[in-house]
Amino acid sequence: MKKRGLGVGCMFYGIGFGFSRQDISAATIEICEDGSVIVRSGEVDYGQGSDTIFCQMVGEELGIPYDSIQLITADTFTTPNAGPTTASRVTYVTGNAMVKAARAVKETMQSVAEDILGEGDLVFMDGEIRSEYPDKRISFRDLAKTCHARGVQIVETAWQDITTKDVDPETGQGDAYATYGWASQLAEVEVDTETGRVEVLRIIAAHDVGKAINPSNVEGQIEGGVLQGMGYALTEEIVQEGGYLKTGSLGDYMMPTSMDTPRIDSHIVEVADPDGPYGAKGVGEPALIPTAPAILNAICDALDIRVTELPANPENIKRLILEKGKEEEAS
Amino acid sequence: MFPLRSERFQGKFNNPGIQRGDHSVEKEEFTCVGHSVLKVDALDKVLGRAVYSEDMTFPNMLHGKVLRAGVPHAIIENIDISAAKAMKGVACVLTAKDIPGENLFGIAFQDQWALAEEKVRYIGEPVALVAAKNEEIARDAAKAIKVTYKELPVVTNPHEGLGENAPKVHEKGNLILHSKTRKGDVEEGFRQAHVIVENTYKTHVQDHAYIETESGVGKVDEHGNLVVWSANQCPFRDRRQMAVVLGLRENQIRVIRATTGGAFGGKDDVTVEIHIGLMVLATERPVRLVLDREESFLSQTKRHAIEMWTRWGATREGKLCAMEGKVYGDTGAYAGLGPFVVKKCGIHLSGPYYIPHVKVDSYSVYTNNIMASAMRGFGVLQSSVAHNAQMDELARRLNINPLQFRLMNALDRGLSTATGQEFQAGIGIKATLEKLKEVVMKDPSLQKYWKELR
Repeated sequence: MKKRGLGVGCMFYGIGFGFSRQDISAATIEICEDGSVIVRSGEVDYGQGSDTIFCQMVGEELGIPYDSIQLITADTFTTPNAGPTTASRVTYVTGNAMVKAARAVKETMQSVAEDILGEGDLVFMDGEIRSEYPDKRISFRDLAKTCHARGVQIVETAWQDITTKDVDPETGQGDAYATYGWASQLAEVEVDTETGRVEVLRIIAAHDVGKAINPSNVEGQIEGGVLQGMGYALTEEIVQEGGYLKTGSLGDYMMPTSMDTPRIDSHIVEVADPDGPYGAKGVGEPALIPTAPAILNAICDALDIRVTELPANPENIKRLILEKGKEEEAS
Repeated sequence: MFPLRSERFQGKFNNPGIQRGDHSVEKEEFTCVGHSVLKVDALDKVLGRAVYSEDMTFPNMLHGKVLRAGVPHAIIENIDISAAKAMKGVACVLTAKDIPGENLFGIAFQDQWALAEEKVRYIGEPVALVAAKNEEIARDAAKAIKVTYKELPVVTNPHEGLGENAPKVHEKGNLILHSKTRKGDVEEGFRQAHVIVENTYKTHVQDHAYIETESGVGKVDEHGNLVVWSANQCPFRDRRQMAVVLGLRENQIRVIRATTGGAFGGKDDVTVEIHIGLMVLATERPVRLVLDREESFLSQTKRHAIEMWTRWGATREGKLCAMEGKVYGDTGAYAGLGPFVVKKCGIHLSGPYYIPHVKVDSYSVYTNNIMASAMRGFGVLQSSVAHNAQMDELARRLNINPLQFRLMNALDRGLSTATGQEFQAGIGIKATLEKLKEVVMKDPSLQKYWKELR
């Protein structure tokens, strides 16, 4: 028989390290004579998309195309230390360093532009610096050239520190993290009571990211997280016995494939963080966290069985169904 | 103005994400931020042009191989490298004796040996290194190293590990860190409870299983500095740890992140970098070290198995009034970031809710299992397995919809977390729950599950 259920899972996640662990980042922005831009930061993009959002932030501030920026990252000889890519911290910490550095460069360039165009509201956009008068404008390129010719510093390094003091060792009280990520997900599942197999039909995810710098990147993070969370809930398990590994290869370690991928509806919620760049904060780990609990609650809704030992693989689900049957017979 | 990255790649690429402004002075809110522009590395990745460290090759390059313990807990009585060293094509065979600096590393606590000295504490522990002219010779030579072990009893779960007569994984004892959260008075809190739910949840071990295993390549540059390209999460932290073991100054070590195929916390600590450095320094030749999938499973860090006992109380009106918990994390043979993972699990065990009375103890414990350290979720995933089950069980007994019950108790402005932290802004838990509620209310296929939701 096939039984369906709906479950909810939600979470909060302390962003950054906490515990008095150094939590710093840095970015350097240099404007070349021709107005092209080099950004250097020790931050690591291992696929999650931080390089793209850094280019978007600097592009936004300086009013230049994001994909004209030369971004050099994660090289201990040429980039400043930006700390690790962990703890869902990168958007929040290094993002701020990027914006700070860009604004510092922009401020200098703006004062030179005011000298040329006259004081007033100047806007950096589309590779130009525009005033309120259509004839008074200068290209970013010419402005950079002028700055260089006048010997004006247009290289800036910004530093961002979100280190938080450890909580009290006896009471655990204190401001543990600089900020928190928030998320809730719903899972709809169908359980085959003959085999114990759980099929996830649909995940509906709602994630507060403060501000989505790149919405499709956020969706990508959520979709990847959902699959990793689904693997955790249902099939992936490293088994060790007496210190020996029993699941030594991908043949024994069952990960979800594209065939197992459910419909995933991602909803981006934007509750601006007062300290995030443009209000943004990380989604890397929150993406994964609510999925497994939502699935487990959906299984409970379908079967009236609470799984307390993970994973909810067919063997465990079938065993719990049989145990429940016996209990019901006995009573 | 300048050729765009995308144009450099394929002529013109019309990026729909960027809205070109007109010539009005009024700037739109954002022209780039908030738009789904193409990822800067997308084309390189999909066209197969991205260069991973395994793709990098240098003249005269050697291939590294790590000999691993293969036994979970043992005294090393003897290591005989003579046969391996004599093999044709082998450039070096290294053991702990050959380490030029201090044989000590570890991201949080320095409790790891780059190569085992007197004892091995888990099956994947590195014991010796071989660099040879190809991978096959390196593998054969590693097999030719004869290590004599005297096996020791093992401890494989944290409860055993905390027992008085448990085998000691490390001399100082098996408890790595005990963390406490104390807020209010839990006994008073439970006296106010109309319903109490108590359960024990056991989570299992997950592997990061990234698409690219741990890998790197290193060489000495034209100025005599060590350069290592690797799949990593923090070149600076790797450099710091390499300097100690290699006996170099940090400014003599250049670590560069090569294109990396996923990490999820598994490349947070040093993986191959120290070993590559040792082989490069010993041979003065470029060396590449790539773990295969089986070696990655056997030797690299995992997600913690955590056991959580927890008890929650709620009033008749559906307000959480107290929670209590004990968290036992199996950190495996070395600390890595394990103590922080388990501490973070304890801090988040109360979920995104306001609970006035909280008492949690968490314990990170050494065992002879494969190390557990950082993995996407960092202890908070495990805690959420427990708190979400507790919330559903309480909601059921109170006859309240589980989503509604969460909304009734969610953190908000001025309401404190378990550590007493309060925020005035940027608290999105209710907004995410409201969004889900809205989706359910609009969709009859979901509404049928939760007819009571209003």
